[in-house]
Amino acid sequence: MVRIQLINHFPMQVFPTFLLISFILCFSPAAIHANSSYRKLINCDLHDGACVQRVGDTDIILEVTPKPVRAMKDLVFSVTLSGKGESPKSIPYIDLGMPGMDMGPNRVKMKPVGENVFEGKGVIVKCPSGHRVWRATLTVPDMGKAEYIFDVIY
Amino acid sequence: MLSTDTLALVYLATGFTVGFGHCIGMCGPIVVSFSLSLEKGSIYLPHSLYHAGRVLTYTILGGIMGATGSFTAVTAHMAGIQKGVFIFAGLLIVVMGLAMAGWLPSGKFFRDYYDPVGFISRGFKKLLNKATTPTFFPLGLLLGFLPCGPVYTALIGAARAGMEAPTPSDGILTGMGLMFAFGIGTVPALILVARLAGMKWLKNREIIYKCGAILMILVGFVFIIKAIRF
Repeated sequence: MVRIQLINHFPMQVFPTFLLISFILCFSPAAIHANSSYRKLINCDLHDGACVQRVGDTDIILEVTPKPVRAMKDLVFSVTLSGKGESPKSIPYIDLGMPGMDMGPNRVKMKPVGENVFEGKGVIVKCPSGHRVWRATLTVPDMGKAEYIFDVIY
Repeated sequence: MLSTDTLALVYLATGFTVGFGHCIGMCGPIVVSFSLSLEKGSIYLPHSLYHAGRVLTYTILGGIMGATGSFTAVTAHMAGIQKGVFIFAGLLIVVMGLAMAGWLPSGKFFRDYYDPVGFISRGFKKLLNKATTPTFFPLGLLLGFLPCGPVYTALIGAARAGMEAPTPSDGILTGMGLMFAFGIGTVPALILVARLAGMKWLKNREIIYKCGAILMILVGFVFIIKAIRF
C-alpha cells in the first residue's frame, strides 16, 4: 500500500530513473561492443606503410598518402599488382565505406601511372558517430576483390 | 561517365536507401522531437517546411561544391559552423524535451525574469512552448549543416561532377541538381519517422509522452557530447 502510494505520488521519479538506468545499461555496452567489434576487423595499418592482400596468384599492395591517414583530407591511393598473375584488362577501382554503416557510394577512380601501378585521389569522410574504422574494397576487374580494413585519424 | 540525368537518379536512389539506413539514426531524434512538440494539427506542413529548408541547404552546398570542385577546401571552412550546428541541435532537443516534460518554466522565465531583447525571447518562448509552423523552415536551413557521413559522400560526388563539367556554371547547376536529388531521396524515411512519432495515442498517453521527453533529453545530451568530440 505504501509503495503504491509512493508510486502514485512520485511517478516522475520512478519511471525516469528506471528508464535512465535501462538506457545506460542497454545503450552503453551495445555502443562499446559495436565499436570494439569493428576494430577487431582491422587487417591493415595504413599509417605505418602499405598493406598487402593476395588474390589468386597476385599480391595487391595498397598505399595511402600522406601519412598518417586523416579523414576529410585529400588522399592519394596507390595500388601495385605484383606476382604471377596477368595484368588486369581494366583499371581497378576502390570503394570506400564503413563496416556496418551505409555511407553512400564513394568510389576512388584510378589511372595507370606505371606497369601494374595505379593511382587515384579520394577523401575519407568523417562520421559523427565517432567510429573510425573504414574499409577500402579494391576491385581488380577479371581478377577479384580485396578488402582492407583500417582506422583513420579524425 | 554517366549523364547528369542518370547521376541524379543515382543520387535520388542513394538518398532513399541512406535515408532508411542512416538518416533515421542521425536526424531521427530531431524529427521525433518536432513531432512530439507539435500540439495539434497536421504534422505534414511543419515537417515539409523543415525538409524544404534542409534540402535547400544541401542544394546550395552542392552548388558551392560544383563551383569549386574541391570538397576538402569547402568543408575545412565549414567545420566550425557544423560543430556549432551540431551542438545547437543537441541543445534544442534537450530544451524541447525539458519543455515537453514541463520541467522548464519557459513562460515565467522569459516573461517575468529576463527579457533582454524582445524578439529573441519571444522567438525562443514560441519554440519552447510549441513549435510553430513557420519556424520549421529556418530550422531546416540551419540543421542542413549538421555533419553527416552520407551527405559528405554525396558532396564529394557533387564536387567531382563539378570538376568534370564543361563550364563553371554547368558545374554549379550539376552540383545543385545532384544534392537536390539526394536531399529529396532522404525525405520519405524521415517523414515516416515523424508520422510514427506524431501519433495521437502516443501524445495522449501521459506517461508515454513523459518517457518520450526523457529519452529526448538523453539523446540531446548524446548529441552534445558527440558534437564536442567531433
